[in-house]
Amino acid sequence: MKNLKNLDKMTNEGVDNCSVEERRHFLKMGLTVTGVFAGGTILSAVSSVNKVYASTSGFVEKYPYKPHYSMIMHIENCIDCEKCKSACAETNGVPSYGFRTNILERQVAGALDQQREFIPVLCNHCNLAQCTRVCPTKATYKDPNNGIVMMNIEKCIGCLSCQLGCPYNARYFNEEKWAVDKCTFCWESRLSKGAKTTGCSEACPAGVRIFGDLSNPSDRVYKEVHQMTKTVWVLRPQAGTKPNVFYTRG
Amino acid sequence: MTQRAETAGLTLNAMESMLVDRLKSGSNAYYFALLVTGLMMLAGAIAGLQATVGGHHVYYGVSRQIPWGILISTYVYFAITSTGICLVSSIGHIFGVKAYMPIAKRAVFLSIITLSAGFLVIAAEIKVPIRMLVYNIISPNFTSNIWWMGALYGLALGVMIFEFIFLLLGKYKLAVACGFVAVVGELAANSNLAGVFGLLNGREFWHGPYLPIFFIASGVMVGCSCLILFHLWAERINEGPLHPGMPDCLSAIRKVAILMICVIAFFTIWRTVATLAGHPDGQYVGVMAMLTGEYSLSFWGGEILLSLLIPLGLYLFSKGTNMKLMLTAAILMLIGVFFMRHNMVIVGQVIPVFQGLGVTGSTELLKYSPTVHELMIVVGGFGFVGFMFLLGEKIFNGYPVEDHH
Amino acid sequence: MRLILTTILCSSIFLLAGAATTLAEGDYPEDIYYMKPVIGVVFSHQLHVEDNGMDCDSCHDGIFEMEARLAENEESFTMAGLADGEFCGACHDGDTAYDANTRCTTCHVGVIGYSRAHGLVNEEGPAHH
Repeated sequence: MKNLKNLDKMTNEGVDNCSVEERRHFLKMGLTVTGVFAGGTILSAVSSVNKVYASTSGFVEKYPYKPHYSMIMHIENCIDCEKCKSACAETNGVPSYGFRTNILERQVAGALDQQREFIPVLCNHCNLAQCTRVCPTKATYKDPNNGIVMMNIEKCIGCLSCQLGCPYNARYFNEEKWAVDKCTFCWESRLSKGAKTTGCSEACPAGVRIFGDLSNPSDRVYKEVHQMTKTVWVLRPQAGTKPNVFYTRG
Repeated sequence: MTQRAETAGLTLNAMESMLVDRLKSGSNAYYFALLVTGLMMLAGAIAGLQATVGGHHVYYGVSRQIPWGILISTYVYFAITSTGICLVSSIGHIFGVKAYMPIAKRAVFLSIITLSAGFLVIAAEIKVPIRMLVYNIISPNFTSNIWWMGALYGLALGVMIFEFIFLLLGKYKLAVACGFVAVVGELAANSNLAGVFGLLNGREFWHGPYLPIFFIASGVMVGCSCLILFHLWAERINEGPLHPGMPDCLSAIRKVAILMICVIAFFTIWRTVATLAGHPDGQYVGVMAMLTGEYSLSFWGGEILLSLLIPLGLYLFSKGTNMKLMLTAAILMLIGVFFMRHNMVIVGQVIPVFQGLGVTGSTELLKYSPTVHELMIVVGGFGFVGFMFLLGEKIFNGYPVEDHH
Repeated sequence: MRLILTTILCSSIFLLAGAATTLAEGDYPEDIYYMKPVIGVVFSHQLHVEDNGMDCDSCHDGIFEMEARLAENEESFTMAGLADGEFCGACHDGDTAYDANTRCTTCHVGVIGYSRAHGLVNEEGPAHH
């Protein structure tokens, strides 16, 4: 029913579409796109396509926000040039001792094609964010409109529980602001001023970081998440936070 | 002459001169101890102020992935100890078990000062304590364990202060009522403190429902040792037995301590076995770090030998009558449990969050070692407890006991 | 006159010696890390010369200058240029060698790879910022 409700809000894609029931059925399949754990075996380094639909834990169940900001990473394109990191630091005034986004490296000796891959990470703007749950003063909170995990630095007491609650190491204490700092999908610096994408996404020369609206069927992120031919996963799905940053290859 | 009569009919001037007389009655050893603990307190205060003004990042050894260092583990140590003392003492003066009654006043006072020490230490770890005072009140987050923990411990502290005052004034019904609220508050606060760690899904080493039970059981265990230590110490300060019922009381506390040591040992064994059996992600490496790795000395030496096995042996051999053995057991346990808390807090963080991803650098454990400033603040916390205890013994004249039930 | 002759002689000896040391058979510089247009693209002489048996002329005959990293200044030193057969793309076309458009991280070791090779700390420090 939740999906059906969502459908009602969607714009009509055309009269030649299939029936609502069929669309709903398809959507449900898409919605249960599952999180194969991005890591571990050599198999998943070489190819994790064809082994993804084992789990039924749908991490996308509903879209409580409009727009529901999200990002999908095409990690096979990532070359760790770190232009995203520089752009992020420049756009958001991130000091050299901290970062809002980072690139991880995974080396797989013995893989036949290439022996390394890079994994960009940033705040996953989780639907069940633990950082906002543990914050004693609501200094960090989910924006009720777009789901971005925001900081109200005036309220931050610096207990750093949010840093421990975050399964993605997305937070750090900013000594200049006297508050925890984190990725806000460039809300203050860009989105709120009318920009359509984040600084990191714009700076990426390889098209790794695709930013968009997960609740908009005509959006690229929506299309890439709601399909079954290509593997889509999230990092650390067992942490149970229902993240909004997705990963794919190809 | 009872305390009640003493305090009730005095003018302020008379009270002052009475207090001065009491404070002047100490031995040389007493004043030396007062000086030492005072200096410890001073060192901690200086280090804390310097770090708060100059920036924690300059003076503390914590980092992005290990934001909670020895100050948090020390806070946990003091807070759980306070809960333990409160619970053990409540057996007597709240629930009316006669053997436990002689310790009531001193126990309440000890519970107050250990909790205060915890608050002082954590004030040095919170980055912006001023905002905490304001926004904890005007912007509370009811899903936050740390908020509940702070609020409930704060409440318990306030209520225990009233309880103590009522005990001094001889208003026992009010004291018992306050005591009951304090016990409930401390229990709830303590389990929320455990929830601060145990409810974090992303930190598998802590995650699970067992921590709250572990915290309370180990709290009672430490509380017993703490009570034994401070009562035996008080006997020396007061140069004589405190109360005819005291040996029986300490013997009874010793039995609770033995029981709780067994409970904690049971927990520790099963936690270890469960981890070895299934190699759960994020837990196995932590437990192995304690069994055979970097934290093995701290685990086997501190957590197993000092806090469990040796005290167990000594408490058993003392038969409840050999006070020297009991004193040794209590001191060793209080030292050992410090390592137990430190292992719990630190090992939970040294496992990199992306370890399961197998990314570069994530296979090794992260490093944390406390700085001189952090250690000085810890010393300051212990100094505070010692100093306040010593003062309390004189100010409250060795807590004369009356039967009130 | 003698001075000039001596100078010429000496310098030619030095030049020859210099040329001999830089161009000796099987001798080549360490791994080259290109920094433009993106940081951390590695080229290994060892891999190409020793393991794949190529000789100097294979590349240093119109494709790459002898001096390292001069290619960085060329506008066509991009993935698009490579696809057009420039620089690495001369061989890495999917025919002679694997296509430059595949196996990205074999050459792109990134800031992390660059830092590691040059002994710079890239990971988060152990304790202090």
